[in-house]
Amino acid sequence: MEMNSLPNGNSTPSTPPVPTTTSPPSSKVGQLAESLRLEHQFLRVPFEHYKKTIRANHRVVEKEMSSVISGVSDAADRDDLSSDEAVNHLNSLVSRLQGLKRKLEEGSRVEHLQAQRCRARLDHLESADAENLSEWNNMRLKRILVDYMLRMSYYDTAVKLAESSNIQDLVDIDVFQEAKKVIDALQNKEVAPALAWCADNKSRLKKSRSKFEFQLRLQEFVELVRAENNLRAITYARKYLAPWGSTHMKELQRVFVTLAYKSTTECATYKVLFEPTQWDHLVDLFKQEFCKLYGMTLEPLLNIYLQAGLSALKTPYCYEDDCTKEDPLSQESFRKLALPLPYSKQHHSKLVCYITKELMDTENPPQVLPNGYVYSTKALEEMAKKNDGKITCPRTGFVCNYKDLVKAYIS
Amino acid sequence: MELNTIKDAFDRVSKKQKLSCSNTQEVIDQIDQEIEQALQKIQSASNPDSLLDHRPILVELKTKLKDMAPVTQLESTQKDLNSALSKYPKLLEKSFNPDISKAYRNIEFDTHTVNQIIASHFYRQGLFEIGDLFVQEANEPESVAVIKSQFQDMYQILEAMKSQNLEPALKWATSNADRLKHNGSDLLMKLHSLQFVEILQKGSRDEALNYARTYLSPFASNHMDAIQKLVVCILWAGRLDRSPYYQLLSPTNWDKVVEELTRQFCKILGQSYESPLAVTVVAGAQGLPPLLKFMNVMAGKKHEWQTMKQLPVPVELDKEYQFHSIFVCPVSKEQSTEENPPMLMSCGHVLCKQSIMKMSKNSTKSFKCPYCPSDIDAIRCRMLYF
Ligand SMILES: [Zn+2]
Repeated sequence: MEMNSLPNGNSTPSTPPVPTTTSPPSSKVGQLAESLRLEHQFLRVPFEHYKKTIRANHRVVEKEMSSVISGVSDAADRDDLSSDEAVNHLNSLVSRLQGLKRKLEEGSRVEHLQAQRCRARLDHLESADAENLSEWNNMRLKRILVDYMLRMSYYDTAVKLAESSNIQDLVDIDVFQEAKKVIDALQNKEVAPALAWCADNKSRLKKSRSKFEFQLRLQEFVELVRAENNLRAITYARKYLAPWGSTHMKELQRVFVTLAYKSTTECATYKVLFEPTQWDHLVDLFKQEFCKLYGMTLEPLLNIYLQAGLSALKTPYCYEDDCTKEDPLSQESFRKLALPLPYSKQHHSKLVCYITKELMDTENPPQVLPNGYVYSTKALEEMAKKNDGKITCPRTGFVCNYKDLVKAYIS
Repeated sequence: MELNTIKDAFDRVSKKQKLSCSNTQEVIDQIDQEIEQALQKIQSASNPDSLLDHRPILVELKTKLKDMAPVTQLESTQKDLNSALSKYPKLLEKSFNPDISKAYRNIEFDTHTVNQIIASHFYRQGLFEIGDLFVQEANEPESVAVIKSQFQDMYQILEAMKSQNLEPALKWATSNADRLKHNGSDLLMKLHSLQFVEILQKGSRDEALNYARTYLSPFASNHMDAIQKLVVCILWAGRLDRSPYYQLLSPTNWDKVVEELTRQFCKILGQSYESPLAVTVVAGAQGLPPLLKFMNVMAGKKHEWQTMKQLPVPVELDKEYQFHSIFVCPVSKEQSTEENPPMLMSCGHVLCKQSIMKMSKNSTKSFKCPYCPSDIDAIRCRMLYF
């Protein structure tokens, strides 16, 4: 579509260049493929969940199996067992194995369900094509909204929206249930579930050099200081804070000094440590770690899509009074969100007829009234037909004849 | 992107998982069997009181289990599974945009505004229960109550139409007749036509004639053909399906009127026909790929991105999302502004004023149009308003 921006002096007469037309249909398919490539999180999250379940189940198997084997070893090494005792001992090992088998069955059932979910998402991506695009887009919006609800802790709305649209397999409600437990506890100023979560994901948190556990420990320490339980605070610090000393000495020192200040301190550096907002901070920190672990974006998908969409739609004309209602940016709320965002950029002219709101292109070229106002041929022809060839400019009231119009060639 | 490759890769993972699962089961069964056998041996030993008889059996069991090395046995399938488990996410990262927030500006949206937009979206889509639940859970004040009740009115009309009841629709259209006319919509006539066909189908000729006289004839001047056709149908009252006008019974007629009603209802409310949230998210899905491509190339300029006044790359949206005329001067490649408006040259080509000023040396000489051989006199160029 690039116009041949020929410099002057091209002596061979040429017909006017073809005005820019809209994208060919092949680009629509390309556009769809491009937008599918945005769906990384959609496939990644259920897979991380699946992987986690597999690993956890395997750990249980290994642990149980080893303890059964060492149970046999122990019995074999003892010389004070009666025959009956030996039988009892072996029987208990057998029932332990039975228990393990049941766990294994249950575990593989869950693994199977999660694998199905991973498959369902691949199938859903595959189902997108040019014919069902608007329905597919509608579904994507619902998925994005559920993601938003889950991240904002609007769980009931998330569940209801997913159920009523029958998209449970396409959203991550169960993954967020795990997060909910930790967040609820942190909001109640309890760290235990968060610490358990850290233990569960120890190796991966370590790999990403997460400070989350350290922050939790610091908070527990601060709480002990607040309760003026100094002895316990010191024991706690020795056991749980000291190991972080090599990497986070500065913060450790700062918090440790609170011992000398108590919770009523007015010293700003330390006062902040006793603020209840520290717990909100922990919630935020947890959400970040959680998202990272599952391969999610840190921001809600909705915000990411909205930002890009608002920028793509934003033009200087959106903020004018006669902005069409069909433009989301005609609404105050959208204008407010778009305010700090950049304007869109165009390399080619895109002319929209003021009357029909249709794009003016080769099929429907723009025509100029003697007063300089431009409308589409379609709109002007219709107006002329209805009014015996008379044209009235809808923006100025200027009246002229259809034959006074001249075509404009837009390159 | 090849979804099939990804599917195959996933199938490999799930195959390995199944293999590992059955393997584990086998190993556990083996241990189970060995212990059961040992148990039998002990129990069938001749002297139940002997302290010594069962010991060799236990030692033998211990050796057997040691030789069997069940944990090691599991290792190889587990290793396979683990490698498949770590390969798959890498494939995903390669085939998809692993981080779509790369083109995100660190601007915090006002949660209240976003929630208001979402609640309005639910209501205008007719999802009233979900909207109410959301408003309650997000603790949003009554700012969306107005839009809710407006769309409730609309959905009541539409619900009634679903059960062939046109009364609420007619009532609304009649009371808004002037505005519909102003919008150039013949919705009222279409509604009356539907109602007329309904009456005809019930077979009452008199009632149909009366209805036509009262409600259809006022439209005759502008819609002669349509009205004539309808009135002729009275001849086939009760058996319209066997008439030449059987198409009047097609349910798509209703669908079309439903759409027109929705469109007009929104317009009169001062609302858009499409949900603005839906439009923006689709625009986002179309805008993100070029932005992400740009961010990947410009990895070092992340800082500049945070303050840019205009997107660094053009974003091509579908034509239904072009709401405003944008004129880009083909010479300077700049978007027109009030100070630099588009100008029509005598040949019909259009350039921005500044380009014309440059080429005409501030209107002191004529110049050649860059797109055709015409000689252009800058004085004769006219400003355009799109
Ligand atoms: Zn020209």
